[in-house]
Amino acid sequence: MSASPITRDRLISIGFFLLLGLGWEFGVRWSGVQSYLLPPPSAILAELWQSRAPILAQSLVTLTEVFWGFIIAVALGVPIAALIFFSRTAKRTVYPLFVALQSIPKIGLAPLIVVWFGYGLTSKLIMAFLFAFFPIIISTLGGLASTPAHLEEHFRALRASPMQSFWRLRVPAALPSILDGCKVAMPLAVIGAVVGEFVGSNDGLGNLILTASGSGHTKLTFAALIAVTLMSLILFYSVAYWERFIWWRAA
Amino acid sequence: MSAVISMASVGKTFGDLRVLGDVSAEIGAAEFVSVLGPSGCGKSTLLRLIAGLTSFEDGSICFNGAEVTTPAPEMGFVFQTSNLLPWLTVRDNLLLGVDLDAAMQRPSDAAFAELVETLGLTGFEASHPHQLSGGMRHRVAIGQALARNPQVLLMDEPFGALDALTRDRLNMELLRIWQRDRKTVVLVTHSISEAVLLSDRVLVMSERPGTIVEDVRIDLPRPRDPSVTREDPAFGDYVVRLSKLMGVS
Ligand SMILES: Nc1ncnc2c1ncn2[C@@H]1O[C@H](COP(=O)(O)OP(=O)(O)OP(=O)(O)O)[C@@H](O)[C@H]1O
Ligand SMILES: [Mg+2]
Repeated sequence: MSASPITRDRLISIGFFLLLGLGWEFGVRWSGVQSYLLPPPSAILAELWQSRAPILAQSLVTLTEVFWGFIIAVALGVPIAALIFFSRTAKRTVYPLFVALQSIPKIGLAPLIVVWFGYGLTSKLIMAFLFAFFPIIISTLGGLASTPAHLEEHFRALRASPMQSFWRLRVPAALPSILDGCKVAMPLAVIGAVVGEFVGSNDGLGNLILTASGSGHTKLTFAALIAVTLMSLILFYSVAYWERFIWWRAA
Repeated sequence: MSAVISMASVGKTFGDLRVLGDVSAEIGAAEFVSVLGPSGCGKSTLLRLIAGLTSFEDGSICFNGAEVTTPAPEMGFVFQTSNLLPWLTVRDNLLLGVDLDAAMQRPSDAAFAELVETLGLTGFEASHPHQLSGGMRHRVAIGQALARNPQVLLMDEPFGALDALTRDRLNMELLRIWQRDRKTVVLVTHSISEAVLLSDRVLVMSERPGTIVEDVRIDLPRPRDPSVTREDPAFGDYVVRLSKLMGVS
C-alpha cells in the first residue's frame, strides 16, 4: 500500500523544516558564530522550556491586548463600514477621515498614544485596534458591495423590505469578505500590540523581546519571538476556523 | 374574458438600444400564454416590465386594471437564471418568498410535502443549492414562486436547462397546477413544440426592437399530454406555422 498524497505532502514539508532546523543548528556550531548573536535552535528550545513561566505570563498580557483590540476593531469596524456603505454623508466624511488616518504611520502614533493612555493595557489595546481596524472596514465595504445584482432584483420581485434585503441578502453575501478582512486583521493586531509594548510598557512579549535583547540575552529574545509567532498563528487559525460556517463562498 | 394583464404600445430603450418597439397585448384570466422570439429580442425585458421590476418610457401596462409600477404580491417570477440563496437549504429557499411577506402564510406541512413531491425534490429538503444539479436548482426556483401561490406566474425559460424527459414531466405538472389553480401563466420559451403543447396562445416576437408580430391561438383539446405532439396532426401544423413565423425552416 502506498502512502496517500496528503501524508506524502505532509512528510515532505516536515522533512523540509527539519532539514532547515538541522542546517541552522550545525551551521551555527561549525561556523563558530557567537551564541549571543545567533544561538542554535536547540539552545532556543531549551530556553523556551526554562523560561516558560515568564513567557507564558507575558503571552497572556499580550493576548489580552490583542484580543480586545481585535474584538473592538470588528465590533466598531463592521457597523461603521455599513454606515459608510449606506450613507452618502458618511462616505464623504467618515470614510476619507479613516483613509487619512490609515495613512499616518501608526508606529509614529505609538509614543503619543502611550503619553495619552499610559503604560497599561489601554494604550496597547488601542495600538492593536488601530492596526486591525482598517482592513476590517475595507473588507466589509467590499463585501457589502458584492451582492450579486440578480439576487437584489430577485429580492425586489419578492417585495422584500430594505431591512430584509440587508439582513437576509446583503449581510450573508458579505460574510466571506468580512472574514477575509478578519484574517488579515488578526496578525496585524498582534503586531500593533507588540509595537505598543516596544514603545511603552512594563510587560508583554514585546517588552520581553526588548529587555532580553537589550541585555544580550539573545536566546530569550528568540524564545519570546517564537511565542509571539505561535500566538499569531493560533489566533489566525482560530479566525480561519469560522470559515466552515460560511462555506458558501465556494458555491 | 377580462384582461388580467394589458399592455398598450409598450416601448423600452436601454441607453441608445431600442429593445422593445411597440408591444400591445392582452392576457386574460387563467390564460396560458407563451412568448417565442429570437434571442436578444427583449422577451426577458418584457417579462421584467410586466413584473414591475424595470421602468419603461412608452405605453402602459396594467395588472388587474391598475398601472404596474412596483412588483405585486400576486405575481410570481421565475427568472432565467435560478436565483437561489447559497446559504439557505432547499426548504428555506422554497419558503423564502413566503417568509419575506408578512401577509403570507407558510404552507401546511402536507401542502409543502406535496410541493416538494411535485418538483421531484423529496429527500433534498435539507440540501444546499451547491449540492443540487442545475435542473434541480431550476425546480427549486419554480417551487419558490409556486409556494407564494401567485395569481400570475411569469416564467423566463424555466426549463431551458433540463433534459427532455424532466422537461416533459415538469411541463405536465405545470399544466396540472395551472388547471387546478386557474393561474394566469406567461412563459418565455425557445421551444416551439413546448409553446404549442402548453399554451392557449403563443405570442411571436420579431427581432430587436421586439414587437409582437403574431398572436397564434392554439385550439388543441385539453387536457393535453406529450402524446399530442405525436398523435395530433393539428399539433404538427401549429409547429410548422410558428416555425415559419420565426424564420426557421
Ligand atoms: N439592464 C440592461 N442594460 C442594457 N441593456 C440590456 C439590459 N437588459 C437587457 N439589455 C439588452 O436588451 C436586449 C434584450 O435582452 P433580453 O434579455 O430581454 O433578451 P431575450 O429576448 O430574453 O434573449 P434570450 O432569449 O437570449 O434570453 C439585449 O440586446 C440586451 O443586450
Ligand atoms: Mg431572456
